[in-house]
Amino acid sequence: MQSSRLLFGVAVIIAVLVASGGGLLWLWMGSSNTAPIPAEQDRQLAQQLLRDEPLSITLYYPHEGMLATESTVVKRQPDTQSLARAALEALFADQRVALEPVLRDIRLRELYLDGSGTAYVDLTPGARKDVRASAWEEQLAIYALVNTLLQNFEEIKQVRLLLDGTEAQTLAGHIDLSRTFAKRMDLVKQ
Amino acid sequence: MRTLFALMVLCSLSLPVNAGAVGNGLTVNSVRHASYATFTRLVFEIEAAAPYVLIRSTDGRSVTLSSYDGPFLLKTPLPMVRDSVVLGLELRVEAGRTVVGVRLDGTAGAVKDFVLRGPDRIVIDIAKGAAAPVPVPALPTKKQTVIVLDPGHGGKDTGSVASQGVEKTLALDLALAIRNSLQKDPHLKVVLTREKDQALTLDERAAASNAAGALLFVSIHSSTGTGSRVFIQDLLDEPEPQTVRPVSGDFLGYEAGSEQKELLWGRQQAAHARESGVLGRELARQLVGQDSAEPVQAPLALLKAVDAAAVMIETGMDTDRAQAAAAIVKGIERYVREN
Repeated sequence: MQSSRLLFGVAVIIAVLVASGGGLLWLWMGSSNTAPIPAEQDRQLAQQLLRDEPLSITLYYPHEGMLATESTVVKRQPDTQSLARAALEALFADQRVALEPVLRDIRLRELYLDGSGTAYVDLTPGARKDVRASAWEEQLAIYALVNTLLQNFEEIKQVRLLLDGTEAQTLAGHIDLSRTFAKRMDLVKQ
Repeated sequence: MRTLFALMVLCSLSLPVNAGAVGNGLTVNSVRHASYATFTRLVFEIEAAAPYVLIRSTDGRSVTLSSYDGPFLLKTPLPMVRDSVVLGLELRVEAGRTVVGVRLDGTAGAVKDFVLRGPDRIVIDIAKGAAAPVPVPALPTKKQTVIVLDPGHGGKDTGSVASQGVEKTLALDLALAIRNSLQKDPHLKVVLTREKDQALTLDERAAASNAAGALLFVSIHSSTGTGSRVFIQDLLDEPEPQTVRPVSGDFLGYEAGSEQKELLWGRQQAAHARESGVLGRELARQLVGQDSAEPVQAPLALLKAVDAAAVMIETGMDTDRAQAAAAIVKGIERYVREN
């Protein structure tokens, strides 16, 4: 009778040990699935660093009768539309652009990107309401904007220019704004 | 009150209106405009034929378009229109009704309207009054070749301003000098789009050239510096011409040809790409003085509607103007002789 009670006690202890061991094993396996493994941690860290690192872009601006290029950096943005807007803001903020006909007299009002890859660049005149420039200066100013967008963002396929939110015939009396613009690399100084 | 209301209602009620259109109002899908030598045309493309009301104000300074019965729905933004007779379009509400208002200049003449089908559209022509700014040239005699010279800018639009002068004046002086030389040849008839300091829209300049039956069109501009450039139209990426269904019969029996032609407005230059290239090359070589000189391609708002070989020239303000005039005359004469 005593030996059978002893056997029952041993069996209970064994059952308890097996159950707790299984529980511990389950807990260990579960926690090992959610805990970051070193490689994943590295990837997330790299992404974070990349988000914080400025994006290098190429600005196109009128210079000595042609378009010149200059590298600059802009803060990374969550989407291409915001990045493109930041790129043009960097162009308008450039000190050399501030001296150039047309670009010195206009400001960026807004930029929209539609699903077909058309960037709508909405411009507004600055303090001087009438923009005066030759046809060549007007052409260089427009393609400074167009090339800056199309050379830096492959999602942008073409550009349309608006004035104060509406379609306009020209910026300074010569270049047709009723069309879409593709990049013109023949205007860039080699 | 001067009004076209009664006439319009009568006219529109006599139209073969689509079944169910009455009471459904007027839906405008698109609005176009074109400025011709003698009138400005507004075209309202509508979803389905329906009666409309067109009223001219007492002082003649505005016209309103609205639906005769039912709502007026505009599915497109109104274009910016501003020329010598139309000062602008606006959508507004008058006495609870939505209308499109057309603001007119004091020189605006008679307002005519008619309706065309295929697609359905309301066409409003506003005549340029007696003080029309664009000279309508007399048709040339059979043996004369018409050359149109277009001095850039004018009126409030001065163009570039530099110590050498104002672009609008320099361009006019140069155009007059070129005309004086060319007119020595009795086979050439030279027409200027403006002969004094006056404002013209780009469409009015192109329309004057087309009305004159020009063989070639030269728009004259100036820029700072000594360099001269010759521009031709950049036709790359131009949209395909809009196709128009055959017209089976207009509502009021008007000829639709002119309106169909208007649909192609702004695409005329495409038919002259080769000639414009030849003219541009000839003038560039004469102006620059190098056989390798080539014209520059640019998407120019003016040239696209010119129905002739067409270029725009920018001469440097520091350039000797007599020499520039002589070079342009030589280039034009050579082009006329060889083409």
